Amino acid sequence: MSGRARRLGVPIAAFVTLAALALLLPAFVSDFRAQQFAYVSIYLIALLGLNVLTGYTGQISLGHGAFMAIGGYTTAILMADHGVKDVWTIPVAALVAGLAGFLFGIPALRLSGLYLALATFAVAVALPGLIKRFAGFTGGGQGINLFGTDELTASLTPVTVLGQELSFNNWLYYLSTSIALVLYVVAWLLLRGRTGRALRSVRDSETAAVSFGVSLARYKTLAFGVSAAYAGVAGSLFAIATTFVNPDTFPIALSIFLLVGVVVGGLGSLVGMIAGAVFIHFMQTQWAQDAESVIPDWLPFLGDLDTDSPGAPALVFGGVLIALMFVLPDGVAGLLQRLWKAFARVRS
Amino acid sequence: MIRKLSLSSLVLTATLVLGVTAAFAGQARTSADPGVTATSVLLGGTSPLSGSASAYASVARGADAYFKYVNARGGVAGRKITYTYVDDAYNPAQTVQATRQLVEQDKVFAIFNALGTEHNLAIRDYLRAQGVPQLFAASGSTQFGSQGGEYPGLIGFQPSYLAEGWVYGKYLARTRPGARIAVLFQNDDYGKDLLNGLKRGLQRSKVKVIAAQPYEVTASDVQSQVAKLKSSGADVFAIFATPKFAIQAFVFANKLGWKPKLTINNAVSSASNIMVLASEGGTNRVVNGSLSIVFLKDPTDPKWRNDAAMKLYRSVLKRYAPGANANDVYHVYGMAVAWTTVELLKKIGKNLTRDALVKAASNMDIPRNPFLLPGIALKTGPKDHFPIEQMLLQRWDKGAWKSFGGIWGYRGT
Repeated sequence: MSGRARRLGVPIAAFVTLAALALLLPAFVSDFRAQQFAYVSIYLIALLGLNVLTGYTGQISLGHGAFMAIGGYTTAILMADHGVKDVWTIPVAALVAGLAGFLFGIPALRLSGLYLALATFAVAVALPGLIKRFAGFTGGGQGINLFGTDELTASLTPVTVLGQELSFNNWLYYLSTSIALVLYVVAWLLLRGRTGRALRSVRDSETAAVSFGVSLARYKTLAFGVSAAYAGVAGSLFAIATTFVNPDTFPIALSIFLLVGVVVGGLGSLVGMIAGAVFIHFMQTQWAQDAESVIPDWLPFLGDLDTDSPGAPALVFGGVLIALMFVLPDGVAGLLQRLWKAFARVRS
Repeated sequence: MIRKLSLSSLVLTATLVLGVTAAFAGQARTSADPGVTATSVLLGGTSPLSGSASAYASVARGADAYFKYVNARGGVAGRKITYTYVDDAYNPAQTVQATRQLVEQDKVFAIFNALGTEHNLAIRDYLRAQGVPQLFAASGSTQFGSQGGEYPGLIGFQPSYLAEGWVYGKYLARTRPGARIAVLFQNDDYGKDLLNGLKRGLQRSKVKVIAAQPYEVTASDVQSQVAKLKSSGADVFAIFATPKFAIQAFVFANKLGWKPKLTINNAVSSASNIMVLASEGGTNRVVNGSLSIVFLKDPTDPKWRNDAAMKLYRSVLKRYAPGANANDVYHVYGMAVAWTTVELLKKIGKNLTRDALVKAASNMDIPRNPFLLPGIALKTGPKDHFPIEQMLLQRWDKGAWKSFGGIWGYRGT
């Protein structure tokens, strides 16, 4: 291996390029696209967190939508009932969700594999019902509407930041993307050193990890806490961007989509999460319904599908997912790694 | 580590290319308002094509088929109507995103026929701020019609749940003095609106609601509620529940040996296929003689076999929504709402603007709609944004609904 300077130089240069491209993006896309990419950044934050837990520590969570809901409701309640400005609710949402994740991590220590997946799934199933039960506090099924409130920085009006006037869509984009970039670096710093090694050792073999002196309790609860805090930030931004929360805005399907995003991006890769976030956002909102022109007609079953008919988008999504697992078993990150290896071979 | 991270810029480029694929389509416009030209008008709305409520997607499909039929015959005032409906998976967060896409990117003239109560709630402030009409919101929630002053561009369509409950109340007050009613209701706006309407209809009568049991939409069953209602000694059982729970209520009541003299089942759960399921092969005696309201022509009712509008309904659906089940009454709803839209556009004529649309929709006086039961009119006013406030009562008799009596018109507030 080469020296410390080179070891850090390449990733830092790569990250600076990434950040610069991300910050320049609104100049090249329409105002509305910027808003869509704001959602991509929000999903990216949730996926980075889930990847710390699932990709690096090996703990499957089918309930991360619930932590997003905790973050989203923290923000909505602080804004609607306590008059807190939207951006200041984000750290609080991270703390509340992180604490919830940490506390959930303690009983989860006794569970592993499928049992943990089921326990986390149960949280995602139970939370919408719980939110409806405490209607006085959460607004029940009607939810909480934030559009047009004084606490919301941007409803439809332009926002002035550091002397620059931004459209509300660009504001949402810069807000969520800059937070995503910071949290990306935080995740990278957390995972590259001693803590990252400990987490990976827990994933690879708990017995081996313990025999090397890694405290399972400490690192698993840490992973749960960090991961849930990320989800909390994502949920908070989701509430600010959507300007509305109700129990159905954080359905069980969201938790599944998040896991799908991590797998499609590539378990145990930070950079792959960008692709995962793009995939789950556009798949949910556009691609599945617009797929008709892309699906080849000779394909059995899906070939002559009318994607505007009831049930069709879900069918397309399922088909794409099966195809992806065949073509990219280790996600987009795995594909890039293979491409890079091939490229290096050709060059040498 | 080096290899993985030095790839990041490559990945970013790749994902950007992946994301920025759709076109930046814009079209030349002649009118001041977006989404309308001399030859076209663009409507858009959300519909649950996937998710738990995908049965309701037929509403959008029925409407779309009718617009295509109208376009094939030359459109309205020289304009072809395009209706873009986007899947929201019955998730209000996705309703918000899809609606913004329709407004900001597709530049629709109006949001039309968006489905669901919370879903319309989630977008109404945004649409008001953008000045986009929210035409014919597909929900029976009372707040959509009664807040005409606050949300001038928001118009409902179907009878409100309050009006439906009121009709049951008036009917019982007139025909069953001394009746004691037990109510099962969903613990949300929808269930509470029906219950409040019922109580309003019963005012100054000898009929009383003696027990009311709520259930949560997330509950697994309603057995304990039905048992409590039975023990109240009521002789009328009113079910204000969604299909799954309504079927359970019928089945549990029968199992417990409860024989109320009359059962009322709300319109949300009164489609014939649901009644057939609840009747347990005709053995459930609680189902027989049940009462409900109706405002659409039921495609399974033999009465309409030779009705011109229902014949048209079948041929339009066959041609423009191939594979759709013609017995699904939600398609009729879709055509009824599309027919009404076409009437409005005809009335406005050449000078189509958003203001003109809102004005026409808030001053509707259409005596009949071929897809609604004869005698039902569509009327609105600046403060009254409920187009349909008339309905008929129907009785479940020997495995089919039969409507009876005259038109019930709700003119409350």
